[in-house]
Amino acid sequence: MVDFEDYRENWASMSRTEQGTTVGLVLIGVFLVVALLSGALAPAYLAFLVGLGAMYALLSLGLNAQWGFTGLINFSVAAFFGIGAYGTALMTADSSPIAGGFNPLVGLVIALVLTAILAILIGVPTLRLRADYLAIASLGLAEVVRLIALNERQWTNGSAGVRGVPTFFEGWPVLETLPSTLPSVRVAVVPGSPIVLEAPFYGAFLDLVVVAVFLAVSYWVLRRVHRSPWGRVLRTIRSDEDLAEALGKNTYSYKMQSFVFGSLIMALAGVFAAHLTRFVAPGTLDPITTFYVWVAVMLGGSGSNRGALLGGFVIVAIREGSRFVNDVGALPVDPASLRLLVIGILIIVVMRFRPQGLLPPQKELIWPGTVDETPTTIDRGVRDARVGDTDE
Amino acid sequence: MSESSAAASTTFETDRSEDGSDGTEPEDRDLVLRVEDMTKRFGGLVANDGATFEVERGTITGMIGPNGAGKSTLFNLVSGFYEPDAGRVEVNGTDVTGMEPHKITEHGLVRTFQTPRKLEGMTVREAMLVGPQDQPGESFLKLFTDPGAVGRAEEENMAEAQRILEEFEIDHLATQPATSLSGGQMKLVELARAMLAEPDILLLDEPVAGVNPTLTKDLATQIERLNDQGTTFLIIEHEMDFIMDIADPIVVLNQGSVLTQGPPDEVRTDDRVVDAYLGGGG
Repeated sequence: MVDFEDYRENWASMSRTEQGTTVGLVLIGVFLVVALLSGALAPAYLAFLVGLGAMYALLSLGLNAQWGFTGLINFSVAAFFGIGAYGTALMTADSSPIAGGFNPLVGLVIALVLTAILAILIGVPTLRLRADYLAIASLGLAEVVRLIALNERQWTNGSAGVRGVPTFFEGWPVLETLPSTLPSVRVAVVPGSPIVLEAPFYGAFLDLVVVAVFLAVSYWVLRRVHRSPWGRVLRTIRSDEDLAEALGKNTYSYKMQSFVFGSLIMALAGVFAAHLTRFVAPGTLDPITTFYVWVAVMLGGSGSNRGALLGGFVIVAIREGSRFVNDVGALPVDPASLRLLVIGILIIVVMRFRPQGLLPPQKELIWPGTVDETPTTIDRGVRDARVGDTDE
Repeated sequence: MSESSAAASTTFETDRSEDGSDGTEPEDRDLVLRVEDMTKRFGGLVANDGATFEVERGTITGMIGPNGAGKSTLFNLVSGFYEPDAGRVEVNGTDVTGMEPHKITEHGLVRTFQTPRKLEGMTVREAMLVGPQDQPGESFLKLFTDPGAVGRAEEENMAEAQRILEEFEIDHLATQPATSLSGGQMKLVELARAMLAEPDILLLDEPVAGVNPTLTKDLATQIERLNDQGTTFLIIEHEMDFIMDIADPIVVLNQGSVLTQGPPDEVRTDDRVVDAYLGGGG
């Protein structure tokens, strides 16, 4: 049994925004469960949505490892996402013009290797220069990758895209056929609109397992490195690169590590996306993805892993939620077309009233076990002081 | 740098100067830093023009000169932030000309900056922990392959940081956000952090600019204390009372090259120095 007192203490130790965020998340959770139980939301679709949220969370975590940790401005999130997606799709799909039919694990490895190579290639000339050069180069890279995917038909099928990407578990024992062998279950919580659990749901659920593993591993690794001396060097570089150099840190090497590491996490999201939608097209590489991910990171709080996590899910909530607004109340315009406007306004509001984001890092980041007790009251001041700096 | 390598290079230097002391080294002097014919041009502007000077181990060497004399440029050249057009820098007898700054730090030379930027989102003790060299936790792989060593090193460094903060009498600031410090406190923290890197020679760029008199006195005390413990200093400063009080010898820079060098009293009364400061020297 979990002690109720624990919860109460946890609650009291949270900041107001943390409490607000928790309440918000619980409300959304309740809403989704109600929608699910009442049959308004198909379980397979919910699983798909959560998967999509997790995918954006991965992208945000990747960008956060570059921008939030080290201050690297990367505008080619979509490109690394796309390399991940194309990498695995071209290795595994039936319609691949290069080398289809491999096990998705091979696709995963190839995608990650390709991403690492690309990240190093773009990093070598730009990371020694001032921060803005990486920004410009990455902006160009995103477009180059997209145009290659669109035009080099002999490698990528061009605008037709790569079809027939298998699920991630194709070729695995048991798991490959699990969705079709599990029995179909019907649960009627609300009479008249039963919840049906059958093959599509089981398939979506397995996809969810894949992304959950990706996300859990990435998050665990990120949390660990964020609190390490390695992460501390990155944060020093973000504030003052010359200082880090003067203290004997090879900043070029650290920036490269951070850049490649973040890009690999983005590629994981791409690999998952390819196996989720079973199809990859040049549209995957549209710069809008980059834009969404930047908003997610800023919304959650630059430098904060849990903030990036939250930001990713919020973006998907807005993107997908806006499809259904008209089902509830009639608006004079199609809300889907207002999506970008809403996200734009949201980020302006956040930047104006809470520039550090919803969940900025609040604890001292020192290797666990080194200090007996991290002071809680002062921790909070770490970021608050920064706000004071800029506002007053 | 590790202590053993620093010690090794020192021995090497001593050996060499004993062997080759004929002519080049009249006295048996132990040099930490040696700068020869440093030249740097920015387009048509000559910032440093054959600047040559030496810093002997155990001294606090001051560097003064009117605005635009090329002091900061020289610092940047010596510490590797600028690439020299000509000249040579030796730290502990090793030629470090053209090396990247972090490499030069490994050889025992650490510098501070005129206007330190505050480390956002860090507490003072976190900011201090950036100082120590060769931390196992700064390797991404070791975080996962050898977390025990990372933890032990972090504990040692933390204890060391705490000790140095106490010596500087600013341990009460340890858990304060680095952004909440005053300019003077920040300079103290900078100095304390630089000491965690265990430098043989520490270059301070205007350590007391904009610092109130009380803290200036604190800084002077600390610098003298650290000097007694064996750290060599090279300090750029405009605050004449401070630098004349603390440093010996003083190097005077004018128009990119060394005008004169000597004990404070000598420098103070040197006509060329007075001319340079009053603008009559050109």
